[in-house]
Amino acid sequence: MNTQEYISSGIVESYVLGLASAEERREFESMCLQYPEVLQARVEFEVAMEKQALNNALAPDPGLKNKIFEQIRQSGNQLSGNSAPVKYLNWLKYAAAACFILLAGSLYWNISLYNKNKKLKVDYTNTVAKLDEIENEIQLITNNPNVKMASMKGLDPSPQSYATVYWDTTSHDVYLMLNNLPKPPSDRQYQLWALMDGKPIDVGLIDNDYFIKETRLLVKAKNVQNAQAFAITLEKKDRPDVSIPQGTMYVLGNL
Amino acid sequence: MNSKITYSEHELVTSLQQRNEKAFGYLYDNYSGALYGIVNSIVTDKEIANDVLQNVFVNIWRKIESYDPAKGRLFTWMLNIARNAAIDEVRSKGFRDSQKNQSLSENVDTGAVTGPAVDDVGLRKVLTRLKGELRILVDLSYFQGFTHEEISKALNIPLGTVKTRIRSALIQLRTMIQ
Repeated sequence: MNTQEYISSGIVESYVLGLASAEERREFESMCLQYPEVLQARVEFEVAMEKQALNNALAPDPGLKNKIFEQIRQSGNQLSGNSAPVKYLNWLKYAAAACFILLAGSLYWNISLYNKNKKLKVDYTNTVAKLDEIENEIQLITNNPNVKMASMKGLDPSPQSYATVYWDTTSHDVYLMLNNLPKPPSDRQYQLWALMDGKPIDVGLIDNDYFIKETRLLVKAKNVQNAQAFAITLEKKDRPDVSIPQGTMYVLGNL
Repeated sequence: MNSKITYSEHELVTSLQQRNEKAFGYLYDNYSGALYGIVNSIVTDKEIANDVLQNVFVNIWRKIESYDPAKGRLFTWMLNIARNAAIDEVRSKGFRDSQKNQSLSENVDTGAVTGPAVDDVGLRKVLTRLKGELRILVDLSYFQGFTHEEISKALNIPLGTVKTRIRSALIQLRTMIQ
């Protein structure tokens, strides 16, 4: 084969520019190995193409180099450039952290709710017991036909005051309901009296705690054999003889 | 890359095959513009052309093992990767959808054979100096990636004639660029 004819047939350009068929390529590659002038013609055209391309270079985006380096570093030498697994792991990490925080928060919430619940249960049991007690007392009084009631109205020192006495005529028990009485000063104390023929009979001192804590509406007083009316006075604390009223009368009511 | 290292082609290839990032940086600095010019003569959309060039360099990095110096220079190998990537992009469904593609026969019938790229860039500029039919043949085969068989069918020219005419067009191109 005339190599010069072969070289000038256009196969060199065809091969270098990637337009040769597979068969033409195989033939050309073996020709290059056999004939140095064919190889030389190939290299000359390659250099010419490279020069031509370099002379007609255009600048790509300035940021492209970094993007390419990022991509090759991310995928390493692997054929898959997919960075999805990394993102997936990151996502998992955050999800796990979020779950842990939620779990810890939920645990704390549950424990505090449990403690609160326990306390509420105790409070509830106590309250129900107290309520039962009061209800029993009230029922004992109100459902009992032998119980007489005295509504005690407010007098001059506190006209809006109001209290009620329930007196069992058979058992002689006395119950006092403190509907509305002003809070006594710390050196004073209320005292309940039964009035019989104008004479006061001591039925009991009323603990100031009832006004501070307001835990009780109904107070059991001393028994009294006979009564026509009831009254409450405000007395000095710790006086030696409590059988004689000395303070101001706050409420008074007939049976 | 600031220090003026120059590589012989053999050194460059060896360094790239050893995954030397400095050598890859050198390759990018020296050849990205030339390869972008080729990509740009096929894909004119700047954003897409940059994406194509990114894939080209990533593929060069990954496939450098398969480069065989016996079959051609490094630049020739890269040039063909760039050209094929650009043609693949133009032929991809997404690109066709965005560019309102015309089929080969429509192109020929209307005489609108210059393809999507403009004529004043690089090799295409050289191409304008070829006379009519030869220019069409080079454009269809080199810039649009049609096979000789496809061109033969579309233009209704015998396959042998397509081959000889493309060859003579390429010979003319050679004298123009040298």
